[in-house]
Amino acid sequence: MNTLVIIAIVSLIAIGFYCLIITRNILKIIVALQVLVKGAMIAMILAGKLTDQMELAQSMAITIIVADTIVAVIGLAMSIQLREKTGTCDIHSISKLKR
Amino acid sequence: MAGILIPFLIFTPWLTAILVWFIGDKHEEGLHQFASAGAILSAILSLLLLSQIGDSTISFAKIGPLFGNLSFSTDALGIILACIANCIGSLTVIFSAEYMKHEKSLARYYSMVLLFIGAMSGLVLTANIFMIFFFWEITALCSYQLISFYNDDPNAVRGGLKALFITQFGGIGLMVAGLLIFGYTHSFEIGRFIQAAQGGEIPANVLGIIGFTLIIAATAKSAQFPFFTWLPDAMEAPTPVSALIHAATMVNAGVYLLCRFFPALEAVPGWKMTILILGLITILISSLMAIFATDLKRVLAYSTVSQLGYMFAAIGAGSVLACQFHLLSHAIFKALLFLCAGAIIHSCGTRDMYKMGGFFKKIPFISITFIIGSLALAGIPVLNGFWSKELILESIHSGTPIIIYILMLFSVILTALYTIRCVWLVFFGEPRSDLHVHDAPFLMALPLGILSLGTITSWLVFEPFSRSLSNSLPLYGIPKETLSELVSKIFGDPYTFLALGMVAIGILIWFLRNKLPLHNSITRKIKSISLNSFGFEAINNGVVNGINAASEAIRNIQTGSLNWNIFGMLIGLICILIALMIGGL
Repeated sequence: MNTLVIIAIVSLIAIGFYCLIITRNILKIIVALQVLVKGAMIAMILAGKLTDQMELAQSMAITIIVADTIVAVIGLAMSIQLREKTGTCDIHSISKLKR
Repeated sequence: MAGILIPFLIFTPWLTAILVWFIGDKHEEGLHQFASAGAILSAILSLLLLSQIGDSTISFAKIGPLFGNLSFSTDALGIILACIANCIGSLTVIFSAEYMKHEKSLARYYSMVLLFIGAMSGLVLTANIFMIFFFWEITALCSYQLISFYNDDPNAVRGGLKALFITQFGGIGLMVAGLLIFGYTHSFEIGRFIQAAQGGEIPANVLGIIGFTLIIAATAKSAQFPFFTWLPDAMEAPTPVSALIHAATMVNAGVYLLCRFFPALEAVPGWKMTILILGLITILISSLMAIFATDLKRVLAYSTVSQLGYMFAAIGAGSVLACQFHLLSHAIFKALLFLCAGAIIHSCGTRDMYKMGGFFKKIPFISITFIIGSLALAGIPVLNGFWSKELILESIHSGTPIIIYILMLFSVILTALYTIRCVWLVFFGEPRSDLHVHDAPFLMALPLGILSLGTITSWLVFEPFSRSLSNSLPLYGIPKETLSELVSKIFGDPYTFLALGMVAIGILIWFLRNKLPLHNSITRKIKSISLNSFGFEAINNGVVNGINAASEAIRNIQTGSLNWNIFGMLIGLICILIALMIGGL
């Protein structure tokens, strides 16, 4: 059972990272972040189960849900702004740090 | 009672600061009055707190196992310093009402000064290392803000940043020491740490690291060798701020820190000797730099550095009493000197001593108060500086190798020389330019009068001073001495007259400067080295340029592309995982 969960965690995180590395579309980035964070959350719950601290894991999971909902909301708001200002969803269009 | 007074002492200035901020710049008169009222109220509270000196610790709130309790101690070490900070703070705020008249951004000025006063009270009263760090950083922030107060002047901005960076370096030292203490005692309480250190619970090498990181913290905050370069550049601040923060209170925080941890660390091999030698080097270097400086405030800044060096030397010689007594005297007479300098600069508009001269007849009140302060600085009897400096010299003579005492005597000559030079250039001789000056208005004269009265009489409190320190700090080995014992000890000691002879030599060198063979290649060399601050400015610039170059080089890894950044993070994560796996095997 634990092995299955670990496989799920690793694949969720891997999918999230892969998506973050290849995409430039801000909406896809938000989706990728959600996938990545869900992987981390399941890892937290598994850790709680393995160390017999389920109540701690539960509170951590709720905190993570709240935090990453906020991230998603702000990201979506930014994507609307990006679309209105530049007409695209490509994050490279606003990149100013590039040399 | 103390449990009520201490939070009020910290929050009165802070609440006033917030209210002053809300009053805003439009109501200038209201700002002056409101800020003065808040500062005077906190000074009265601090004086009331003097009656509560004891050896108890008051806990307000349990923050949890991680940060320890929000606790304050009521021993004399902290309460006396809080009293100095609040009383001199209130006097400088009163002085500011005249000095800062019609300046811009007064709300910012007053709220930073008041925030500083509250933080300084907290820093010296708390018994929790975590809280010390918290208040320590607030004082650093206020110091930076106030040095850069005239933020359209590039020198002021640069001076503020320099002060911030160098004192932050000390903050790192304090943080490392605090974390080590927490790691080994599982508590941030200072009392617990002293108990553990004396009981041998902490390994000797760890105690050594704690001791020397605390020395780094103290030398950076108190502008000692090798970190003293920030204090002269901090003189770009408005003069009342220089008097309060860079002469009387914040720079004493380093000395306070060493005194506070003294019983825990005095047995660390080489700890006291390091402090003594750092103090001695600072005294000699900064006195030489003061002799050649031409800016009135810089001379006072160098003399502050050197007097703080005396306090370090006293700790190094093992005498917390002499150190604290000199701290009290120095806070009073140096605040007086800075406020006088502020009054002079306010009226004549320049800081260059070579443009002054002959001011004694024009501004007799400021002149007399300045001369009282400088006599105390030079160590002339019976002003407060004389007693405390002799006490330090006596403790060094009895507790350290004779060569250090001889070097200290040499520094006494230098102190007398730069003091008389400064007084002579400003007040006597022929006027060197047709500057218009006027004597101090009432709101400036009042703090000057109170402080010069303090300079003449503050040594009379020696008996309650040593008794309260000795009673409330049983672990520190502070002797209980009466005033008559002090007088008979100082005047019964032939070495006192040796030191007074040195002061006389210093004054004589100034008056015979044209007849003595002083204009030769050696003095010219010393002068050019001193004006270049013994190469420390160059080292500072080197460090700054090195960091600039390094950050320019590192800039290349800031690609600005999310994909590459994520890729980098992933690689880093994999490296950490591999390292953990190798460590786990």
